[in-house]
Amino acid sequence: MTFEFLLILESIPKMLAGLGITIQLLFLSSFFGLCLGIILLLMRISGRWYLSFPAFMYIYFFRGTPILVQIFVIYHGFPQFEFIRESIFWPILREPFGCATLSLSLNSAAYVSEILRGGYLGVEKGLHEAGMALGLSKYHRFFFVTTPIAVRLALPAYSNDFISMIKATALASTITLMDMTGVARTIVSKTFAPYEIFIAAAIIYLIITWFFQRGFGLFEKRISRYTIR
Amino acid sequence: MADLSVWWDDYFWGAMTVLKVFGVSVIMTVIFGLIGASAKLSKSRIAHKIASAYTIAFRGTPELLVLLIFYFGSAITLTSITHIFSPETQFVDIPPFWAGSFAIALIVGSYATETFRGAFLGVDPGVVEASQALGISNVHTFFYVRIPQMWRLALPSFGNHMLSLMKDTALISIIGLEEILFVAEMATAVTYKPFLMYMIVALIYLSITTVITLVVMGLEKIANRHLEGAP
Repeated sequence: MTFEFLLILESIPKMLAGLGITIQLLFLSSFFGLCLGIILLLMRISGRWYLSFPAFMYIYFFRGTPILVQIFVIYHGFPQFEFIRESIFWPILREPFGCATLSLSLNSAAYVSEILRGGYLGVEKGLHEAGMALGLSKYHRFFFVTTPIAVRLALPAYSNDFISMIKATALASTITLMDMTGVARTIVSKTFAPYEIFIAAAIIYLIITWFFQRGFGLFEKRISRYTIR
Repeated sequence: MADLSVWWDDYFWGAMTVLKVFGVSVIMTVIFGLIGASAKLSKSRIAHKIASAYTIAFRGTPELLVLLIFYFGSAITLTSITHIFSPETQFVDIPPFWAGSFAIALIVGSYATETFRGAFLGVDPGVVEASQALGISNVHTFFYVRIPQMWRLALPSFGNHMLSLMKDTALISIIGLEEILFVAEMATAVTYKPFLMYMIVALIYLSITTVITLVVMGLEKIANRHLEGAP
């Protein structure tokens, strides 16, 4: 057993080709996850039980089960039903990429809505009351008073969730998607050099997470520039 | 439902395997977390560096990749070592159960390191000084003074870590452990009912995570029983 640096150098360009899919998966599913998360948040804070209870159940289910199981239910499970195979969504659900995006979005929506709810509940009541006293309408209060502060409060937790999304995209390789981990696994099955290839892939992931962590850190600094520390 | 009745046994034993993995790796997670936190808080600069490298590496790489490195890496190392002694061996590996438990415990341990570190810092330094003044040894201070108090602070986050540990156990089926996800795969191959079979896996995980949440709530109550009425 030898540690071959040449092999690492050879395999890095191949893995960077898989990086494209990883990044696409990351951005698409965090975008859809954020949109759905906001809808879920609005349902939960609406104060109407027929909206908040389904949202609660959704969050409970998606936070209580492993992402891998969710991916398998969607990728292997959905084609069992005739009506899904005949629906207009079939071209998306037939592809592993569509399934991975869908399951990661649904999963991240549950976490994101809880994070946003934490931010929303962290906003001081007094500000809300001050807005009311100033005669701002309900919508203005929500958009111009609560939201900016809630976003600031939720951002650290959201950046953590984003980082765990990066790591979750690796699971897409289990449904034959050729993301970075998928490419690494194929190279390993050919060369049988797990240390070199997997560690090289791990370092690329580390660089990506570091990059996004820095980005979020700077963004956090920017949006909290009015707060006195 | 008729399809299902044949598979209950397999699901049950699969769930038992999941619980076993969970039990083993929770213990390892606590150990790694305590070692990591002690290293991060120690005065030794080398220990601090090592612990930082540990948390950065394991929190930044995908769980699946860590698992694959541990399983296939250990297999290739062991195979080449045994080749020296008996050249006719083909393949030696650490059982997926142990490789998997160890890998996920290391991952969650890196998160627990940060939690425990924060909790140790939350213990009032006056209490530690008081126990030093009373002549209690460092080891006794650690186990009888620091740990009972940091435990209270660490529990809420540690509960979350236990949940993610539970959910990470699903990954071990990828390296060939015969747990519930593996059972579902087999059952699907026979019955052609993938949705049903994987949904049962999801529901088993959901019930286990629910129980863990309730247990953590109970533990928090026990840990905080002296603080009744305190803010």
